[in-house]
Amino acid sequence: MWDPAVKRVESILRNWRVWLAVIVVLPVLAAVVLWLALPLYKDPAANILSNPIWFPIIVAVVMLLSILTSTAVCILAERKLAGFTQDRKGPNRVGFWGLLQPMADGMKFFFKEDIIPHNVDKPLFMLAPCITLTISLIGFAIIPWAGDVHFDWMAAGETVSTQVASLNIGILYILAVGSIGVYGIVLAGYASNNKYSFYGGIRAAAQMISYELPMGLALLCLLLVCGTLRLEEIVNQQAQTGVWYVFVHPLPFLLFLTSVFAEANRMPFDLCEAEQELVGGFHTEYSSMKFAMFFLGEYAHMITGSAIMIALFFGGWHCWGLTSVENTAWWAMLIKLGVYIAKIAIFIWFFMVIRWTIPRFRFDQLMRLCWLALVPVGIVLLIATGVLSAVMDLQDGWNWLASLAVNVVVLIIMLAYAARSKTSITGRQGNMPDVDVRPT
Amino acid sequence: MRDEDVIELREPELSAAERLYLPQIWDGVKCTVRHMFSIKLRNETVRQYPEDSRDTRGEVRVANYRGVHRLNKDPDGRVACVACLMCATACPVNCIHIEAGESPWPDREKYPVKFDIDELRCIYCGMCEEACPVDAIELTPQHDLVGRTRDEMIFDKEKLLHIYEETKALKPRKNPAITGYG
Amino acid sequence: MPTIIIDGQEIKCRKGIPVLQAALDAGMNIPHYCYHPGLSVVASCRLCLMEMKMPHPQTRELGWDPKLFPACQTPVKRGMEVRFNSEKVRESQRHLMEYYLLNHPLDCPVCDKAGECNLQDYAEQFGSATSRMVEQKQKNPKKDIGPHTLLYSDRCVLCKRCIRFVAEITGTGEMAVVNRGSRNEIDVFPGMPLDNPLQGNVVDLCPVGALLDKSFLYKQRVWLLRTTKSVSPADSRGQTIFIDHNENGIHRIRPRYNERVNEWWISDEARFGWHHVQREERLDQPRVRNSDGLRPERWEELPQVLRQRMQTTLGEGGGSELALILSPMMSCEEAWLLAKHIREMAPEATLVLGHVPIVGEDRTFPKGFVIKAEKCPNRRGVETIIEHFGGNTSTWSDFLAQAVEGKFKAACVVGGYTEEWVTKEVAAALAKVELLVVHDLFPSALDETAAIQIPSATWAEREGTFMNCDGLIQPFERAIPPLEGVKADGQFFYELAGETGLYRAKKVREMMAAELPQFAEVFIPCDVPRHAH
Repeated sequence: MWDPAVKRVESILRNWRVWLAVIVVLPVLAAVVLWLALPLYKDPAANILSNPIWFPIIVAVVMLLSILTSTAVCILAERKLAGFTQDRKGPNRVGFWGLLQPMADGMKFFFKEDIIPHNVDKPLFMLAPCITLTISLIGFAIIPWAGDVHFDWMAAGETVSTQVASLNIGILYILAVGSIGVYGIVLAGYASNNKYSFYGGIRAAAQMISYELPMGLALLCLLLVCGTLRLEEIVNQQAQTGVWYVFVHPLPFLLFLTSVFAEANRMPFDLCEAEQELVGGFHTEYSSMKFAMFFLGEYAHMITGSAIMIALFFGGWHCWGLTSVENTAWWAMLIKLGVYIAKIAIFIWFFMVIRWTIPRFRFDQLMRLCWLALVPVGIVLLIATGVLSAVMDLQDGWNWLASLAVNVVVLIIMLAYAARSKTSITGRQGNMPDVDVRPT
Repeated sequence: MRDEDVIELREPELSAAERLYLPQIWDGVKCTVRHMFSIKLRNETVRQYPEDSRDTRGEVRVANYRGVHRLNKDPDGRVACVACLMCATACPVNCIHIEAGESPWPDREKYPVKFDIDELRCIYCGMCEEACPVDAIELTPQHDLVGRTRDEMIFDKEKLLHIYEETKALKPRKNPAITGYG
Repeated sequence: MPTIIIDGQEIKCRKGIPVLQAALDAGMNIPHYCYHPGLSVVASCRLCLMEMKMPHPQTRELGWDPKLFPACQTPVKRGMEVRFNSEKVRESQRHLMEYYLLNHPLDCPVCDKAGECNLQDYAEQFGSATSRMVEQKQKNPKKDIGPHTLLYSDRCVLCKRCIRFVAEITGTGEMAVVNRGSRNEIDVFPGMPLDNPLQGNVVDLCPVGALLDKSFLYKQRVWLLRTTKSVSPADSRGQTIFIDHNENGIHRIRPRYNERVNEWWISDEARFGWHHVQREERLDQPRVRNSDGLRPERWEELPQVLRQRMQTTLGEGGGSELALILSPMMSCEEAWLLAKHIREMAPEATLVLGHVPIVGEDRTFPKGFVIKAEKCPNRRGVETIIEHFGGNTSTWSDFLAQAVEGKFKAACVVGGYTEEWVTKEVAAALAKVELLVVHDLFPSALDETAAIQIPSATWAEREGTFMNCDGLIQPFERAIPPLEGVKADGQFFYELAGETGLYRAKKVREMMAAELPQFAEVFIPCDVPRHAH
């Protein structure tokens, strides 16, 4: 049945030795190329790498490409983990251990028939997936990947930032970009001219508006303490004190985490594409590469969300005893980048574990969780942190323990209240009347 | 309905931990992670399909496996179907399309001029087999159905009769019901 | 109006009707084969036997008579009490059903009657599930008894409805019972096939699958068909019909009871007069003449093109050189809509009633069934509408004469006839017209000179009303969607008149009723009782 040539190629790709060789050969090749290109680096005049305008562009291109690639890897990881949680093996046919599956997926998407149904709003229909993907990617612009770096050819004390853009409104930019992300989904729902898609879009919009609030409140708590909007400074502060903000603000972190789940439309908040109710939700009518762009958008959003969360609460590239603000050597940059990527990987793993654990919320539960739980807690925390930072400087010495204590107190009060209340926050609506089903 | 027929269902009382919802999430995550890292469970559960299927293990129940359809032939080698359209009527997904005509044989009234089954549309429920008054349409144990185009997957009369030839050794035709004709 | 008691239930009924009819009218399911309200009563099937209260011969006390009476032959009397739900009646029915099924073949899967067969229904409702018959079944032959009909004698239950029909309704008497005893069977006389203009009705009359229509044979199973109420366009009598159709199109036409027109019957013209719907040659897209002949045009552009061409041909003014030829195949609503729009556009336009096809003479049958010579459904309706608009009107022959003289620069001709209607004279006269708009079903000689050719839909694809030769206004419903590429006439006229949305005949009728009060009400015949057949 199989073409012998295909069979041979398959057997080569399935062989782990081939993969091992590739893994060995690739770094060697990279080293050779670097060695050949090294003389270029040594000449500061001809070197664009020291230019504070060009360097961020290189960072942008490199990170963009690697993130687009890593979304493909994420999809493989998701499928593998989904298999593992369900006691399956996941994709294991294409290449050794299924490693070529993302390529197969991508090729399939490329060669699939691209259907544009009649009666869709064609310009918007085409635009929607582009918006989704673009918006989820532009969040990367302000991530401080590896802090400042000093290359040998630079003047002493001079550094360049491994950030694409150092914005003074960093966190506001996150909020703005995050809320634009829903635009693509709403447009897709609207343009598809399909009631299920439209429902999906409407749900996404409602969910986004609701979860902006706890996200903003959590960020405010953080801002009251760190006193800056620049992401790289927030990371530097954590690196200098060695105290990640997740220890100072555990509850705002939880609020932020929940909101990021909601904004990335990940389970258990993926109501806008709820397959069981809405066929495919906003992407019901999409096929081929347009659908793939939504897919990439979702995973890119997940990576951005994790990166931002790490920068805000988990010290970015900081790891105790491994990296520091002062060490700006190029090898330290690589270590910092490695730390950052490792943290992102852990977060993405967490995202996936949650996806395969918690079932999707009902829409009223979703709304109740936000407006009756997250928003009040956020407000209480904001007031408490405000009062606290008026009384003392939380950045100073061991004062952060006070903030932690306040968080713990609020958490205990909240849990006590929840445990005493009649139904859980995600349960049946409290004022829903008991229906008597008996015939009269 | 009498009063005692009514069963009243009350929502279960939740414990404090259940109301918090968080311990439940924690339990769920624990379960997920346990399965995620258990290679033993995985290897016990999974069977690699084409290499290790029920066919190769000989576990297929020939008599009632619901695979690809076939159209039986009567002892004279003619199509057994009398084109009564019962299967098309019973089909819940309307995948059977029959065009009836006057049969060329003196002992029969009707026969199918065209008999098409859209195997892509079919859900293999076996209703057609149940409905058939002359046991002409049957489901075979064949399940590995592939094709390169959609048209290829619409099986016509010749193809269905051919499947009968292929599978009659494995699954002989049942005795046809006595209907006066066919 | 006498009151009788059936099964303990008081029922008011018309005077003099059989008890069976009273029970059926009351919605009861009483089995019967030989009884039909349109035919004479023979009480031969014995299935409608009932128990009746009679005075005791000695005591004169009322009590259930031990003998069973045929309900179809017993007229109702005031105060009479009968019952069908007793054990005795049920046992009689059970035995009778067993008797009917003795020789009946078990070929329901290949029988076209299955699904609407009364033997099937009654065997299930009143018979028993098993047969005690062990002997060889009597197998009577299958016969070809006429150009349209087949007789499967082995399925026959000898109710003799068909024989009574050809004797009483058509008066032709082709069929009879031959042989005796268990060899009894229906047949036609040698050399005298069942061939009269009403013969198709015997197929509907047959309660089992013995008489079958050749054109429907093996085509469909009846439960796969959907039914639409319609009016036949075959003649000007307005026979009411059911159109049986499914997604593949029309499959057959059956009579629909109509107390004022055709009762239970229809003519064969009405029954088989639907094949033009499926003819290959039908026009399927609008065409407009350019320098290089007739070219396809989009429906959306058509009203605009039409108006523009009219404008250039007629110029400013009342449009006295425009003629609108309304076909007697149009529904009243369509004719009104089009005439109104043309008159608004060109107040002096001439309205003409188009060609009225007449074939032979009216034919009246013994019991009063009439087949009209006028083979179009709505001559009177279109006449009424032309009369209503008044102004410049003309007859078809006058119009042709004037057209030959070149009086008209523009003409809109609505056709829609089921058969070829353009004679040489018509084509020659209309060739003189500068702007000829043809709205028709099939290509014709007019296409050579037509400036705009618009495809029309058949009556089964439209909805509206026909006014029959006696002035009775009867609605018909849309059975099947128009041929692909064709827009239903009413919908097109509606859009031509600048309206948007879906054309509904009822909505237009309401608009018409403001000017023509007789259209406020339409005649819808009463339904037959559910269990009657």
